[in-house]
This record gives sequence, C-alpha cells and structure tokens, in this order.
Amino acid sequence: MHLGDIWQVQKTEFYSPGKGSALMRSKLKNVSSGKTVDYNYKSNESIETVDVTSIEMQYLYKDAENAFFMDNQSYQQYGLLLSVIGSVIEYLKEGESMYVYVHDEKALNIRPPVNVTLKVIQTEDAARGDTVSGAKKEAELETGVKIMVPLFIKKGEDIVVNPELGEYTGRA
Amino acid sequence: MKIVTTAENLQTYQIYLRIIQTIEKFLQENNYLKLDLPALSPALIPEGYLEIFKTEFRYLDTKDALFLTPSPELFIKRLLSEGIGDCYSMGKSFRNSEPSSPKHQPEFTMLEWYKVGKDYKYMAHEVLKMLSEISWELFGKKTITYQGKSVSFDKWEEMTVAESFKKYADISSEELFDPNTFIAKAQKKGYVTDGFTYMDIWSQIYAQEIENNLGTSGFPTILYDYPIQFAALSKPNSDGKTAQRFEFYIEGTELGNCFSELTDASLQKKRFVEDDCERMKSGKIEHPVDWGFIEALEKGLPESTGIAIGIERLGMIFTNSKNIEDLKLISIK
Repeated sequence: MHLGDIWQVQKTEFYSPGKGSALMRSKLKNVSSGKTVDYNYKSNESIETVDVTSIEMQYLYKDAENAFFMDNQSYQQYGLLLSVIGSVIEYLKEGESMYVYVHDEKALNIRPPVNVTLKVIQTEDAARGDTVSGAKKEAELETGVKIMVPLFIKKGEDIVVNPELGEYTGRA
Repeated sequence: MKIVTTAENLQTYQIYLRIIQTIEKFLQENNYLKLDLPALSPALIPEGYLEIFKTEFRYLDTKDALFLTPSPELFIKRLLSEGIGDCYSMGKSFRNSEPSSPKHQPEFTMLEWYKVGKDYKYMAHEVLKMLSEISWELFGKKTITYQGKSVSFDKWEEMTVAESFKKYADISSEELFDPNTFIAKAQKKGYVTDGFTYMDIWSQIYAQEIENNLGTSGFPTILYDYPIQFAALSKPNSDGKTAQRFEFYIEGTELGNCFSELTDASLQKKRFVEDDCERMKSGKIEHPVDWGFIEALEKGLPESTGIAIGIERLGMIFTNSKNIEDLKLISIK
C-alpha cells in the first residue's frame, strides 16, 4: 500500500546518500492504472503489504486495452489493463496457463512465466562466413513480437525467451 | 558472491585509466603531494550511518582487531596537522552493508584531496578546472555528452541547499532549518515521519524530490551550505544554521563531497561522541574510536579544505557508462 493505493514493487535498490539514514529506492507500479513511480523508502520504514493469492488461469485474449484470463477451476473471468501487465503480454500465447495475483476478487497482475517457448515465423538466413561471436539478427515470433536472436536460429524453430527481459535464452 | 571477469570492457577501462592519469597529472602539476596510505586501521572515525568491515591480525596468541578504512581522512588529517601541506590520496575505500548498484560498490576508489589555507569555495574552483582538463584530454573540448545530454564545464550551476528545497520541494528555508516545522511539512506531503529523525526525513525528501534535478541544466551543479546536522567534519557558517559543505552533481549523480575542514577539536570531540552513540544505538559493528585524530586536531589542523570524489562514478560520466561495472575488468558479485 502506498498513498492509499495498491502498488506492485518492480525493482528495489539500496541507496546510502551519506546524509542521514540509508534508503531503499523502489520502482512501484500502480495495479489499477499501470502508472509507475520511483519512491525512496527510509530504512526501517514499515510498509503495509497486501495479501494476494495466485490462481492458475488461462490467458484467453486481449483487446486494445485489456487482456482477459479465466480461472481454470471456477471459470470466472478477470480483465487486466495491458498497461499494468506491460511488455510481457507480447510474449504470451492465447490459451496458455499462468498464475495471476488476485486480491479481494480483483486481479492485480500476472506472475510472468520465467520462460516461454515460441516459434520463429520470420528471420533472414545468416550469411555464410559471418562468424563474429555474439552477433545477432532480428526474428519475428509467433505472437508477432520481434526480438534479437543468434545467427544460427532458423525460421520455423522453437526458441526459449525470457518474457520479462524480452531476451532469447536458448533453443527449445 | 563470486568473481566475474569482463575483459570485453577493455576499451572503456583504458579510457578510465586515462581519466585517472589526467587527475594525477593535474594534482601533481599543482603541487599536491601524493600520499600512499594504509587500507587497514586499528581505530576509525565514528560515522553514525556507515557500516564497516572488520578483520583481525593474528600472531601466536595475540589478536588485534583491524578495520578496512571507509575513508582515508583519519590518516590525512594527522599528516596535515604535522604540516605536510597540500596533498591527495587515491585508493580503495570500503563500506559494508551497501550492496552493489549501478552507481555504487562496497569497495570503491576514492580521491581525497586537501588544500591548506583555503576554503570550500576555492576547492569548487579547483574541481571545475580538473573536470575541464579531463574533458580536454579525452575529447579536446570543454563539453561532454552523458546519456544523450550535453554537459559543459565552463561554469558551475551554484545552488544552496535552501534554494534547492525551495525550488524542487516547495519547502522554505524557515521550514527547512526548524526540525519540528520541517517534520510537520513532510507529514503534510505524505511522508511517514513517526519514529524518524529530522535527518532521516530530510534525506528521504532530498533523494525523492531534489537529487535527480541536480546537474541537469547543461552544467554540473554545486549544492552548498548544508544544515549543520549534515556536516559533521565541516566548519560552521556564521548564520549558525549551515556548515561549509558542498556536493557536486552531473545528471543527478553525486560525484564529490567537500568541506571547509573543522579545526575545532572540542567540537569535533562532541560530534565523535554523538556519532559513536548513534552507531551503538543502531547496532553497528563496534570499533575503537580514533582519539588520535582528536589529538592531531588539538595539536592544530591548519585551515584547509578537502574533497572526496568517487573515481568510478566520475569515470562513468566521462565514459558515458550507465553502470560502474562497465569500467571494470573484474567484479565481485
């Protein structure tokens, strides 16, 4: 809880300004609006935490503003603003299962999977002799998102991607 | 923790070395004596908000506690009171309980640099000259680009701490210097104040509302005249509210901290006791207090000004790096 709203902690960093006590620099995302703010908490400042349950849900579809999920047990549907989910949504396939954080009957955000496996639908073939180590090329994946992949990846292959970083992590 | 090599940073590292060489050349040409100082000390200056690294010297049955120095100040001021004159030290400093972040590591390179017979305003002038020299050496001009923004070393943007609180946080100087009024104002702004000191809350507002704006006007910013509570080792101003301390910033990054040095041994002794108590209260690692430092002041520390500059941070600015690690060939993570 921060200023009366529910926020998700995205990132924290210890900071000692050398003037007074140390601080915890935090990046917070408002789970109702998707807005992010940077806030510096004092060391030892207590924060009210919000109890959430994570429920396995199926990702159904998205429209221009929201993505929709369904609880696999109760069949109840939940909507989440795309601005709250962030770029992770671009790596998710409809019909896939994942965990969604819920508080007080309201979905707050998804718990992004560590890895997702996606098919490469478009990429140039690497030129022969191009052996610079670490060289990358662009590839379009089945969800429509484009990422950088190593030169040896071919069209039609399945690859593993970290959806939070939007980075290639290996061949499937 | 592990040792990570990043030999791919070689090019940036080489620029970082040139920065260090330019700094040392500048200081030596201006007759500052280079000091080679110990990293381990049996006693330290008590600093309420700093945690330290403790180790031990063992020989047969004897065990002597030793501490990695969080700053070389205790050695340098002894030498100043012995009459060593203008001097500098560039070496490793150690601060515990401060995890690595893009702008900080627990072990870092600190330049401490002292000028005798002058005050902090003189030092500001010297630092600007040094920054210009680094810029000239690397780029052949007095302007650099950091993360897409241009920074010129033609002049400082100068601002008192009181002016910065007014400008960026809408806190007047009456509110700033009176702890009770300040705390009431902070509460009104939505900060948690219960159980926190003036210094804690000040520090939070400073980090939250002010710091990111400093050094963003196309020039580096000097922020000066800190409330007396934030200037343990610096000379008080005649207004009774502020002390002669400045920090300088480029694009929101603090790069250096300067004092007109406190030469009053009895006042220093009082601040030592207060800081030592603060350490005890917050459960920090105990260490013998360096009373020899007070004796050196009693002997007579000459009027002087000193600055501490984080060399890796300065390196980040001049190599246009976003992370200290980009300058390193080896890191401990």
